[in-house]
Amino acid sequence: MFKLRSDTSRGLTLAAPATLYVGLLVAAPLVILVAYSMWTQTYVSIDRTPTWANYREALTDPLVRHLMIRSILIAGAVTVATVLTAYPIAYFIAFRARKKTLWLLLITIPFWSSYLLRVFAWKLILGFNGVMNSALMVTGMIDEPLTFLLYNEFAVVLTLAHAWAPFAILPIYVSLQKIDPSLLEAATDLGNGAVARFLRVTLPLTIPGIIAASLIIFIPTVGDYVTPSLVGGSDGKMIANLIQVQFGAANNWPLGATLSLLAMLAVGFVALVFALGLTAAGRRIR
Amino acid sequence: MSDTPIIDLQNLEKRFGKFTAVSNVSLSLRQGEFFSLLGPSGCGKTTVLRMIAGFQEPSSGQVLIDGQDMSDIPANKRPTNMVFQSYAIFPHLNVGDNVAYGLRGRGIARTEIDQRVSEALDMVELGGLQSRRATELSGGQRQRVALARALVMRPKVLLLDEPLSALDKNLREQMQFEMRHLQQSLGITFVMVTHDQYEAMTMSDRIGVMFNGELVQVDAPNVLYARPRNRAVANFIGGMNFLPADAKEDASGALDVTMPGFGRMRIDQNPNVTARSAQALVGIRPEQLEIAADRPADYDAVAKGTVRDVAFYGENIHYRVLLDGVETPIAASVPNYFHSIDFKPGDAVWLGVQSASVIDLGRDS
Repeated sequence: MFKLRSDTSRGLTLAAPATLYVGLLVAAPLVILVAYSMWTQTYVSIDRTPTWANYREALTDPLVRHLMIRSILIAGAVTVATVLTAYPIAYFIAFRARKKTLWLLLITIPFWSSYLLRVFAWKLILGFNGVMNSALMVTGMIDEPLTFLLYNEFAVVLTLAHAWAPFAILPIYVSLQKIDPSLLEAATDLGNGAVARFLRVTLPLTIPGIIAASLIIFIPTVGDYVTPSLVGGSDGKMIANLIQVQFGAANNWPLGATLSLLAMLAVGFVALVFALGLTAAGRRIR
Repeated sequence: MSDTPIIDLQNLEKRFGKFTAVSNVSLSLRQGEFFSLLGPSGCGKTTVLRMIAGFQEPSSGQVLIDGQDMSDIPANKRPTNMVFQSYAIFPHLNVGDNVAYGLRGRGIARTEIDQRVSEALDMVELGGLQSRRATELSGGQRQRVALARALVMRPKVLLLDEPLSALDKNLREQMQFEMRHLQQSLGITFVMVTHDQYEAMTMSDRIGVMFNGELVQVDAPNVLYARPRNRAVANFIGGMNFLPADAKEDASGALDVTMPGFGRMRIDQNPNVTARSAQALVGIRPEQLEIAADRPADYDAVAKGTVRDVAFYGENIHYRVLLDGVETPIAASVPNYFHSIDFKPGDAVWLGVQSASVIDLGRDS
């Protein structure tokens, strides 16, 4: 027999697994990170006297500022490129495609292979002796291999835009799918052609999808270090690479923790401004 | 006023693959008319409306609006506006922006837009609600916004797709009067699609009844009620008792009919009937029958029977009476005067009917 309990205790019981999970895997590491950021590395040991020294160092170091700004710019470029290419695909699946399920399945196929493999695939495509250069040489369009394809920001943006595509397509698809077709007919009925109808009805109604897609891409991209290390070269290095170095070769965990927290704050701020800005812009469309 | 019909449908046909949704619909509407397309769901009435609006292209035939062929004119360029069944209120816009939607981007000055929007909202009794969010509106308000949004465009024809079906009963009856009043004061032609016979009858100047993609009869509501073309129309509009009868045309052009129970009588021919045979069908509306305990005097025909069921409807009492020697019960509906008649199942009763109330429905098919 199960005993009747108060709603409160039943609610707490139901919330317990999630609370435990979030507490152990999100809150605790975050607390540890904050603690580390206020300690100091002294050769092999850690000085646990609280200090703002790491923040002072990070905020004044031109390299940190440079990498932070570049990370945000590259992540921004990746976000814009991904959303711009994903939108038409999502639109096609939502409004034109007959076999939607099949299309959605096809979209997720890249996920069936490892992320790392996909990055390496781009290396093979864009490399000095890669697919792209070979093809262009064979067809005689170029005489010697192009060197600007790999090991720069462009390669990072391209690789990540490809890797993130499904994450952008799905939320945009969902927001398009939710649009009542009679709204589009009403816009037509009230005199709109296809372009005006898209700009005045479809686009504003999909802004939540665009914001979701953008955040899903932007936030992890700022912190990505695998892609920049593999295809970014020295121009493509991002803040996460620096953080990785602090926790690895440089063996300066406190500074690494500080950089992580600063990166989180910067990302949070940019994401918030972006989301609010886009929402406000959408409200102005009438 | 010109004689050009505001809407002229010429042999309109719509096929989806092998399925014919609308077949050979021809119809002319006068300027300023309130016209309803009435029929059961799936009869093709909405398809006709959508072909007028331009959302669907006819497989053959033409739509003319104010004398102009609409074949090459897309929906967004047609002089029609539509009130959608779901109302299709833009959820991201407030009431004022919803109503102004069609006026914006037409190069109309902002002050004029504001004025026209405010007039349109006053017209539907939503004056001053411009900044109300679309998501905060009740069903009735959404319907009014949809109406204002379409009327503000000053269309030649307003198309309404089941405009009242989403409202509750009281609101629906109120809106029937309001929309009729609005239509008459504006003088705009309204074309409404509905499956509700009462809605169609209370609001329309004329009704087109559709079955299986065909326009079966177009007439004023009272004519449709009194002189339906065939069994299907008679059955769809109001209640009707159908009686198979032997019919002969006499020298004066009247019909000499012999009905089960009621016997022989002479009735006028129904001019709307096109198909006839000796095995005829006649109809009697339940409210045209007199029910009495004693043989009623002054009726052209009477029949004797037994009450089988009684149903109390408030304003009416419905009886189902089995006539002696007839298998199908006859429905009779009498106004409830709170005192007079009160029969119970099993009571022996007489039914009386005047010959003018017996409707010739042509062939029994």
